[in-house]
Amino acid sequence: MKHKYLIVFFIVTALLGGASNALAASEKMTVVLDWFINPDHGPLFIALEKGFFSRRGLDVRFQVPSNPNDPPKLVAAKSADIAVSYQPQHYLYVDQGLPLVRIATLVATPLNTLVVLADSDIKNLAQLKGKTVGYSIGGFETVILKVMLESQGLSLDAVKLVNVNFSLSPSLFSKSTDAVIGAFRNFELNQMDIEGRPGRAFYVEEYGIPSYDELILVARRDDIKSLKFRKFVDALEEGVQFLVNHPDESWELFIRGRKDLDSQLNRLAWRDTLFRFALRPGALDQARYQRFAKFLKKQGLIKKIPQLDLYAVELPIGHP
Amino acid sequence: MHNSTKIGTRFEGHPAAPNVTLEQVSFAYPDEQIFRSLNFTVQSGQWTCLIGASGCGKSTLLRLISGILQEGLSGQINFSNGNNHKGLTAWMSQKDLLLPWLSVVDNVCLGARLRGEMTARKRSMAMSLLEDAGLGEYADVLPSSLSGGMRQRVALLRTLMEERSVILMDEPFSALDALTRLKLQDLAARLVEGATVLMVTHDPLEALRLGHRIYVMTGRPAKLSDALIPPGSPPRNPGDSAIISMQATLLARLEGRDNA
Amino acid sequence: MIIIRPIVILFGLVLIWQTIVLVTGVPAYILPGPISVAEAALSHAGPLCEHAMTTLLEIIAGLLIGTLLGALNALVMIASRSLKRWLLPVLVISQAIPVFALAPLLVLWLGYGMSSKIAMAVLIIFFPVTAAFYDGMRSTEPEWLELAQVMNAKPMAIIRQIRIPAALPAFASGLRVATAVAPIGAVVGEWVGSSKGLGFYMLHANARMQIDIMFAALSLLCIVSLTLYFLVDRTMIKIVYWQKEGNKKEESHL
Repeated sequence: MKHKYLIVFFIVTALLGGASNALAASEKMTVVLDWFINPDHGPLFIALEKGFFSRRGLDVRFQVPSNPNDPPKLVAAKSADIAVSYQPQHYLYVDQGLPLVRIATLVATPLNTLVVLADSDIKNLAQLKGKTVGYSIGGFETVILKVMLESQGLSLDAVKLVNVNFSLSPSLFSKSTDAVIGAFRNFELNQMDIEGRPGRAFYVEEYGIPSYDELILVARRDDIKSLKFRKFVDALEEGVQFLVNHPDESWELFIRGRKDLDSQLNRLAWRDTLFRFALRPGALDQARYQRFAKFLKKQGLIKKIPQLDLYAVELPIGHP
Repeated sequence: MHNSTKIGTRFEGHPAAPNVTLEQVSFAYPDEQIFRSLNFTVQSGQWTCLIGASGCGKSTLLRLISGILQEGLSGQINFSNGNNHKGLTAWMSQKDLLLPWLSVVDNVCLGARLRGEMTARKRSMAMSLLEDAGLGEYADVLPSSLSGGMRQRVALLRTLMEERSVILMDEPFSALDALTRLKLQDLAARLVEGATVLMVTHDPLEALRLGHRIYVMTGRPAKLSDALIPPGSPPRNPGDSAIISMQATLLARLEGRDNA
Repeated sequence: MIIIRPIVILFGLVLIWQTIVLVTGVPAYILPGPISVAEAALSHAGPLCEHAMTTLLEIIAGLLIGTLLGALNALVMIASRSLKRWLLPVLVISQAIPVFALAPLLVLWLGYGMSSKIAMAVLIIFFPVTAAFYDGMRSTEPEWLELAQVMNAKPMAIIRQIRIPAALPAFASGLRVATAVAPIGAVVGEWVGSSKGLGFYMLHANARMQIDIMFAALSLLCIVSLTLYFLVDRTMIKIVYWQKEGNKKEESHL
């Protein structure tokens, strides 16, 4: 009967050995987020929590940057594998020589919004004339504003621009600005509701900005030959799929082990982001991306329109 | 240096310089008794020298008389013309204490400037003092351009400008080289004639050259010897045989009492 | 001769910079080479100078106000022992609070214009100026003070004619530190909320990954700061005219 214990011992050892083998075979990947962990990153964390990455042999770590402008630089400098970035800014970075390529879409609609206080007398954009507009510096806001104003027959000079950095809603509340641009519609609007001072939103894509993907994933152009990126996108797709099918359970997974994310603001933002995630993260609408490139060139933000496959691709299928 | 009768007689015609009398003066620092029931008189119009080993208390005595040091003092310090000692002494230290940002002539006038009493008359008095001391061409120069001996000369003139009849000197010439020291002793002796001077020195020869009376301070608490009165009037010739033999006496007193 | 040495040093540094870029092959969006920075500076010369003027004004105003407040504070602390006991803790706290934490508050209170940046600069230099001046006045040569006492000097005269001039060398030190540090206050203020200035311009360039322009703005900021420092240094040498450091030659700190 001693043999019974010996057999159990060997089985356990084999299992452990097998498990550690699996771990040893897994590839490490670092993903730098664009900001603090928030509902915009939902599918990534669902994939993490459900093991969609590890099932494919990927050991994924997420990093929070100290500065939203850093993630693409980190990937370009090989300090990370993937960065969460923004489609509009992506063209600017590529124009400046960063060897980055978009491999997947996280949020497939614009999130940027121009916001005013609901009780302000600005009911349409034309009434922005002579007002003060606050913005965070992302590189793009002044152009958004200019195009939105042009849709109303106004020029950028018609408003006074002030950099408020990330204090968007506070500047509205304190009336130091009449409107802000750079607010995310799933966030700032909910934040203002919570404060009891709701906002009125003007969606940028409804006023002349071509539609774009607010959040994308980018990697180094030289690296994407590696299969791990295709696996990553597959895992992400599985994450979105689960999220769409099981939204409530997904929320619980999102905050599991990250209790500080369980806030009223995040709950509301989660609800408003759910239908904006790219259902097919790996898919690329080529014309949509080229259209935006043309728009940026026309606005003088980039010097030349790059060849599409240099900056945005659909990763090909891996080995069967 | 010019021999100007104007300066030499500066204290004549003034009311006589007072005696300074110490009655039953005791003074202690928190951990040490310096003087106990000391009685001592500084004679009016005379140059009194205090000599003693370092740390015996002679500078402390000077500071008590000047009013700089007050806490811990008991007993009386009187000036025989009735004033309390505040407002009546002029002070000269081993350091020249010239303010580096003021010109030489402004330094000479320092007392008047600090009291808000500066006038054109005072300035021209300072100028004539400087000229008579041979420093006229340096009047507008900063002290940093002068040698140590010249600076101490300016300090001496500043002391005189105070026109106070009690002058306290704390080893004023000890930082100077021997030759400069002799010259400054001569100048000082001439310029302060008529004032009551109390000078602390560690140099027996200096005491013998300049003092009408010399006291040796020894012991703890400090006591003063009897007065030694050299013959002749200051400034005396250092080669004088009487002076040389008195130097031996002074040194003996310094050494002998040190064993106590 | 006094101009040649800094130019040689500058040239040497630029050479080292270019060598590093060449040898390490570091990409331009991390560290651009001096030539591309120079090109960026030339092509954006107009806006760069405009923004530089704003930042320069913020720095100068901050320096003037901060120095005045600091000097007055030190004088009050010397003149009144009881007031000093209240002011000294305030002084230390002003130094302990990191300006980065205060910046958003200042912008909230004072708005997005120049006043919040000036306030930042004032806060940063207040402590060095006060501390230097106060220490200088406190450590006046004691024998001067004794001499003044024997001369029956008026208390105000002692402060005005002895303590203050004696403290001027220390004050000049504090002022030199303040000049070196004031630009930090102005730029941090601009980062938090502004529409003009070199700090603001650097943020914009950084967001667009135009690192060469960012470095151009940074270089201009350095030039502005160095020039200011040089001017203040020379002025203090004139004011503290009696400090000849022994060999009668005026030695600038540069």
